[in-house]
Amino acid sequence: MGAFTITYEEVYEWIKRSCTHVSEDSLEIMKEALAKEESAGARAMLSAMLENVAMADEQTKPVCQSPGFPTVYIRFGSTEGVELLRKYLPKAMVEATGNGYARPSIVHSLNRSNPGNNSGDGVPNIEYQYIPGQEYIELIVSFKGCGAELGNIYKTMTTAQLGSDLKGLKKLVYETVVNAGGMPCPPSAIGIGIGGQMDVAAKLSREAISTRDWRDENPDPQLKQLEQELLETINKLGVGPAGIGGSTTCLAVKIGMAATHTAICPVAINFHCWVARRFGVRLYRDGRREYLFGKEA
Amino acid sequence: MAVYELTLPLSDQDVETLKNGDTVYLTGVIFTSRDMGHLEIKKSLEAGKALPVDFTGSAIFHAGPVVKKIDEDWELIVIGPTTSMRMEPYAEMVGQLGVKAVIGKGGMREGSIKAFKKYKQVYLQAAPGCAVKLAAAVNKVEGGFWLEKGMPEALWVLHAERFGPLAVTMDSHGNSIYQDIKEQALKIIEAL
Repeated sequence: MGAFTITYEEVYEWIKRSCTHVSEDSLEIMKEALAKEESAGARAMLSAMLENVAMADEQTKPVCQSPGFPTVYIRFGSTEGVELLRKYLPKAMVEATGNGYARPSIVHSLNRSNPGNNSGDGVPNIEYQYIPGQEYIELIVSFKGCGAELGNIYKTMTTAQLGSDLKGLKKLVYETVVNAGGMPCPPSAIGIGIGGQMDVAAKLSREAISTRDWRDENPDPQLKQLEQELLETINKLGVGPAGIGGSTTCLAVKIGMAATHTAICPVAINFHCWVARRFGVRLYRDGRREYLFGKEA
Repeated sequence: MAVYELTLPLSDQDVETLKNGDTVYLTGVIFTSRDMGHLEIKKSLEAGKALPVDFTGSAIFHAGPVVKKIDEDWELIVIGPTTSMRMEPYAEMVGQLGVKAVIGKGGMREGSIKAFKKYKQVYLQAAPGCAVKLAAAVNKVEGGFWLEKGMPEALWVLHAERFGPLAVTMDSHGNSIYQDIKEQALKIIEAL
């Protein structure tokens, strides 16, 4: 087996690309939504968004002024190569910030002081996942806007609150979308984490919306059906792009699930702004790169 | 649903003409301020300290730009709206400052609806996540204050030419598109 070849320059380009592009899955759904949208105000907003993506692309500028919060998912079958990514990622983020591809937005949580370079303890948040037998390293860089975070909720539900036919769970999702209104930069995508305890549900909710292709179908038939039902109903609530009305409120609903304790059902609802700044790649030992979320660089 | 081209500073009359659903383009000086800027204004007012700019007739943009310093000048790279709800606790203070337009995303709530009516102010929704497009209308960064708070939190003074399009979503007559949408949506949920 050959060694993984990963260079710092390559990692830097991936970070820069994440800041200056919106992944193809989000864009494709946005374009389809624009073709179907009937509200004039909503159409104007969607058009502005798509135009902005094209401008960022042409001018190699950050798509959004807020770089959001960076989380990186690394899934591996052996630790070889992983250390290089761990070392390069924070450095590349600081360099990209210095070059104007990201705003320095990371601060000390309590005294709010800003080091000015997007660095800090636990930033970027790196989620490592060991997958025995996986021959490639999968890397997903995700900058998720934090206006979106303001709409997030967590609730420890009970069996009674889930209700028959999951009525209570569905209502919780709809009310959360309406209460969030225009805050999460709709059209949003929504990650729902169900199960475990609070920490597990929260992690699953971010992972679901950050690592899955927004056009995919859940392999679990019950979850697939629930994702579709939630998406369709949310888009009937009339929140619309920017929260000013229309039928394009949500681009995708993705559910991540784990088992839980019989007394509880932890539920976390996690908004993602339409500006899906992310980059996904599978690295193979022979130097091959396979890109996720549609079109490659 | 009319389209207005307005020049800053704005008068009460400019604001009173605007109705929800109208579109506005602004020309003139626009200030940015967000969480820590608002807190600093509050602290300065309480301490009787002078503010670095005069907010009479002004537009406050809830935004933190990406800027680059080149020699003595600032170059704007991108700028877009941040979530306005975080500034809701300052509604009354912002009204008293004489601010006429608040630009942001997501709208604000009851305290702001009241203040907008009382002080003749308007809320303008900018296209969210459209930082390159919005920056194209800013032709100069005239300066920045409170830079020690960090790039997003500083008070930036921008000169813009036909900045927009901005949608009027909370007018000075007590109407809020966000409020209307929320009420309708909750009714739909109840009926499910």
